Amino acid sequence: MIREAAPHARPLARRLAEAEETIAALLSREIDAVVDTPSQTPVLLSIAQKALRASEERYRRIVETTDEGISIVDADGIITFANRQVAEMLGYTVEELIGTSIYRCIGAAETANAERRLQQSERGISEEHEVTYLRKDGTELWVMLRTTPIHDADGRHMGTLGMMTDRTHRRAAEEALRKSEAQYRQIVEATTDGIIKTDQTLTIVFVNRQLADMLGYEPAEMIGRSLYSIIGSGGKEIADESLRSRQLGLHGMVDTTYRHKDGTEVSVNIAGSALSDGDGAFTGALGIVRNVTAQKKMQSQLMVSDRMASVGMLAAGVAHEINNPLAAVIANLDFIVESMSVAPGHPSPSAPARDASWILDDIRSPLEEARDAAQRVRFIVRDLKVFSRSPDHEQRHPVDVQPILESSLRMAWNEIRHRARVVTQFDAVPAIDANEARLGQVFLNLLVNAAQALPEGQAERHEVRVSTRVEGDRVVIEVGDTGPGIPPEVLPRIFDAFFTTKAVGVGTGLGLAISHRIVADMGGTLTVQSTQGQGTVFRVALPIASMTPVALPTDAPPATVHGRRGKILLVDDEPTIVRVAQRILATEHEVVATVSAREALARCAGGQRFDLILCDLMMPDMTGMDLHRELARIAPEQANRMIFLTGGAFTPQARTFLADPPKEYIEKPFDAANLRAIVHRHLRSMTPDPAPPSAPQ
Amino acid sequence: MPPLRPKPAPRLRLRLYVAGNAPNSLHAIANLTALCDQHFPSAHHIEIVDLLTHPQRALADGIIVTPTLVKLSPAPVQHVVGSLSDATHVLRALGGS
Repeated sequence: MIREAAPHARPLARRLAEAEETIAALLSREIDAVVDTPSQTPVLLSIAQKALRASEERYRRIVETTDEGISIVDADGIITFANRQVAEMLGYTVEELIGTSIYRCIGAAETANAERRLQQSERGISEEHEVTYLRKDGTELWVMLRTTPIHDADGRHMGTLGMMTDRTHRRAAEEALRKSEAQYRQIVEATTDGIIKTDQTLTIVFVNRQLADMLGYEPAEMIGRSLYSIIGSGGKEIADESLRSRQLGLHGMVDTTYRHKDGTEVSVNIAGSALSDGDGAFTGALGIVRNVTAQKKMQSQLMVSDRMASVGMLAAGVAHEINNPLAAVIANLDFIVESMSVAPGHPSPSAPARDASWILDDIRSPLEEARDAAQRVRFIVRDLKVFSRSPDHEQRHPVDVQPILESSLRMAWNEIRHRARVVTQFDAVPAIDANEARLGQVFLNLLVNAAQALPEGQAERHEVRVSTRVEGDRVVIEVGDTGPGIPPEVLPRIFDAFFTTKAVGVGTGLGLAISHRIVADMGGTLTVQSTQGQGTVFRVALPIASMTPVALPTDAPPATVHGRRGKILLVDDEPTIVRVAQRILATEHEVVATVSAREALARCAGGQRFDLILCDLMMPDMTGMDLHRELARIAPEQANRMIFLTGGAFTPQARTFLADPPKEYIEKPFDAANLRAIVHRHLRSMTPDPAPPSAPQ
Repeated sequence: MPPLRPKPAPRLRLRLYVAGNAPNSLHAIANLTALCDQHFPSAHHIEIVDLLTHPQRALADGIIVTPTLVKLSPAPVQHVVGSLSDATHVLRALGGS
């Protein structure tokens, strides 16, 4: 106060001074309490209480405006505080809730859990749970509940603060997600296809039951393995290549093999895709895997049945082909027998005795004719053999196309000859990598198709053209006809299985489909070109073999050689074979012949030793293979001297026997010169038998 | 002419509003008692009102904080707020200047 206030202003000045003082006192913390007058009754609040009231006000605002439900429950489970949100969530008013037991809002199933939570709180433990409450209307409320113990200033437990977040909506969303996941899982588990998923290192992260079953594992066993560990031989390159193209965004199927737990290979067809993250980086691979082993087997069975059908269809023609030379053989032999019966010493009334030299001259010519005719039968049978090789004899090796084409032409001749002339144009072509029997099947199919495209009885007006030539790195074989051609609407379906334009019973509808498959398996292509009114040309293109062909055993007898005289054991269950072979060889060698492998074994067991044992491979009772095994046990050096005779009808067992380790064998029929030459060659290559001396030289 | 006698000092009437045993209230009581004993040894009367016990008195007397000292007489009525630790300031208020 600088100057005295006017008298009337003094009280006011004093009040101002007092207010200043009050403020100064407040600032210097000399005030204990403030008088509050919320109603007619003044309330004295300490400064601390005033601050608490303010802060309580703040908290109250927070508690009432938050989305969370906040409540306080005492040790007995009585609700002592609840905010508006809790009340709304539970469907009560705040007034209804306060003083009520919390257990009223909890289903029977949850009671024990609620008790436990309150106990935990008394121990000072905060928790977080998903809890289901019961609303006033009986519906369920699903909340995330956090409980926190409340203590007073002295550390006494006052109750439990509960904060709850309504999760009902979230649960509905999660429920929907779970349902959708369950749906996917159902699809994944119900599909008959295998499903496999890997991460970016190609480590398997998921397989379904079907895939595990396909490969003989439990699903859990496969997780964590490398994808490569279940890929079959040669499948790695296919997998890598496939993954590369998938990563480029290409889709498609790939045929490969997986390895079963037991080591066998499983043929599979995989529809794969590469998985990537948002940035396009590779994160793994997903494959839908179909087991096509049965399908492959079915295909191979279809191929066999097609071959059977082809051969069956041609059987009549072949019989005809064989009958002609066979008639010549029989007629000539009859003539010879008759001539002999009128030989000197056998006088007959119709034929006077003639001199022996004339008879020899007389029968030479029919004998030679009979032999030539028999030779023709032999060739026909050899052609048949091309087609009768066992279907599981699938190895490919370099083969010459032309002899197979010629065999096929002979086989199909009966179908062709009434309909067309055959025009061939065979260029010298290198060998191709193929399977002889399969290739023969393809050619036969194409030739028969060509023939059947032509009407019967106009052979002079039509041609079946067969040609071979080289185009780039391929050998191209064309089989054409001069028939009416294939209608354009039919052409696209020409290679479909069971598609046929032939009358019922004429074709199987499999021929071209299977031919297409065979050629594709050999790495080649089979295409068709047809012009209506002018004819059709089927074109087979096959890759040239990387190796030169293995010389097939030739029937040409080597130049006659005269070796040493040997002691030979001859074993064959067919007496005629035994007799004729004995007749051929006995002029030069000492021959012991038997129709029983057991007798042969007994002789060797009894100490007899032979330079050579010619033994039939397939015999009832004891086979040549059995004999070999027994000899290998009791007289190994005799076992090594065995040469097997075979009619060509190999069982898989016999084939394995001959191939591993390789053994000498002679294919029936054999002619005299051939047999002699083979025996000589072997006697020469073998060291003289040191054991009991053989026949005197 | 009547003899000049010192006019007896007017009786000092004070009232101190406190809030129970709150620290500043206790300080105010102690400070005021000491001050009066020293400067007005025989002529003062102090009434202490505990607002925790008699909150209605706060309303009647227009008190808004504790501790508050009110000089009821001699006039004019004066208020002093706080723990009364500044003796000079308190004496000036009580001196009626």
